[in-house]
Amino acid sequence: MNKWINTFTLVLISSATIATGCNRNSAPQQQAQRQAGISAEQQAADAAGFKEFSDRVKDYVKLHNSQEALLPPLKQTVNPEMIAAHQSALGRKIREARPQAKAGDVFTPTALKSFQDVIQTAMQGPRGANADATMKQGAPLTETSVIVNQTYPDGLPYTTVPPTLLLVFPKLPDEVVYRVVVHDLVLLDLKANLVVDVVPGIIP
Amino acid sequence: MRRLRLLSLCCFIIAGAVVSALGAQQFKFPLAPDSVRFAAIGDMGTGDAAQYQTAQKLIDSRVTFPYDFVVMLGDNIYGGSKSKDFEQKFEVPYKPLLDAGVKFYACLGNHDNPNERLYKLFNMDGASYYTYKKGNVRFFVLDSNYMDPKQLAWLESQLKSALSSDWKICYFHHPLYSSGRFHGPATDLRQVLEPLFMKYGVNVVFAGHEHVYERVHPQHGIYYFTEGASGELRPNNLDKTAITDKGFDTDRTFMLVEIAADDMHFQTLSRTGQIVDSGIIHKQPAASAQKITQPPRPTQDSGGSRAASPQF
Repeated sequence: MNKWINTFTLVLISSATIATGCNRNSAPQQQAQRQAGISAEQQAADAAGFKEFSDRVKDYVKLHNSQEALLPPLKQTVNPEMIAAHQSALGRKIREARPQAKAGDVFTPTALKSFQDVIQTAMQGPRGANADATMKQGAPLTETSVIVNQTYPDGLPYTTVPPTLLLVFPKLPDEVVYRVVVHDLVLLDLKANLVVDVVPGIIP
Repeated sequence: MRRLRLLSLCCFIIAGAVVSALGAQQFKFPLAPDSVRFAAIGDMGTGDAAQYQTAQKLIDSRVTFPYDFVVMLGDNIYGGSKSKDFEQKFEVPYKPLLDAGVKFYACLGNHDNPNERLYKLFNMDGASYYTYKKGNVRFFVLDSNYMDPKQLAWLESQLKSALSSDWKICYFHHPLYSSGRFHGPATDLRQVLEPLFMKYGVNVVFAGHEHVYERVHPQHGIYYFTEGASGELRPNNLDKTAITDKGFDTDRTFMLVEIAADDMHFQTLSRTGQIVDSGIIHKQPAASAQKITQPPRPTQDSGGSRAASPQF
């Protein structure tokens, strides 16, 4: 009976994965969720949420690339001024291209639920304590927040994003990364050093 | 998995037998003709007097120990990424070295703007993680702020393709083992990196972040150094534990390293020129050739009583 249920669960997961087209991202998430006893329906819902998130990320990266193409290409340089100028100009262009940007544009409500689920599962799992310790090492950021479409504050240190979470989050293209700021999960544009989106309070 | 555990046990057991440290007075670099010579600095980019004084000692050291390059263990530029920050916190203090053609190879710390990877004098080739080779040493420079599956896959492929005869040295900002009170070890990172280090025979790991100097007793056959006090310092912050083979937390430090064939000679100096630590690490044999010659030593996880230090 158990074997039947497992087989059914796997088929359901596979179907959902194929249907949502995000199988590249979802294997570790689903493995972790399976181990945590998350229902197949929940896993399918999370996969759909992540698919929506990944689509929004793709849209953002398209916008990033279109704006960067308007600037002189930045190569490695001995002049840090040029790096800072490119970062600043790219940030400005992207901001102008998405003036109405707000929290939730990329971490949509559906995606948010998926992130909540995998974070909860990961942090309650066997590596949760290590992940938590990683984020709270030393002097963690406190009472700091970042704003969508604004620059990540110059000089503000980065909290290590625990590998435990990166393993279960959807993979990202090179232009953007996840960051943790206190209890907020941030999507950051690396070259522009720009906050693309933020989910307040999602990190325990 | 069982094979990995067995390998880990073998590495763990043999490790104590392959280091020898000499008294400070006896230590001499061999300055062998084809050796790889470098310095290691971490958490240096403050721009304050202590960084400059430590940098001066690093510069002076090159007279007697002519190293070719410097590995930077992160927190290269504190407090901002404007042009003047690069100038005050890197270009000016290390100018004599830059002028002499000494190359710097940086990794990113938690205080570094990721766009430092585009700064040519850090030789990161535009990437936040990269590899390079000097003589018989392959260096793997990682971004420990963001150890995502992509970086892990890259690391594994690079380690796999590295020559087994080469030394494999990894460096990144956050220490996997640390007896520092302020930060402590990056255990989540350790869980994903250490199995790769063990599987592919990484010999030595350098990190910064903790503003002290610490040489950790080999863990699973791998030598771990923390050099996070080349500018910043957190005085008296090291709680020497069972894993600490040598620790120093009362002044700024930097390391000098020479790898000649199968021996790595290292010396750690303070801002005042005091020899804080020194020794020779003999390259660990390939896993298949290792023999069990020593009882196991404690790990940061297991704790336990500490065996007598071999050959110290």
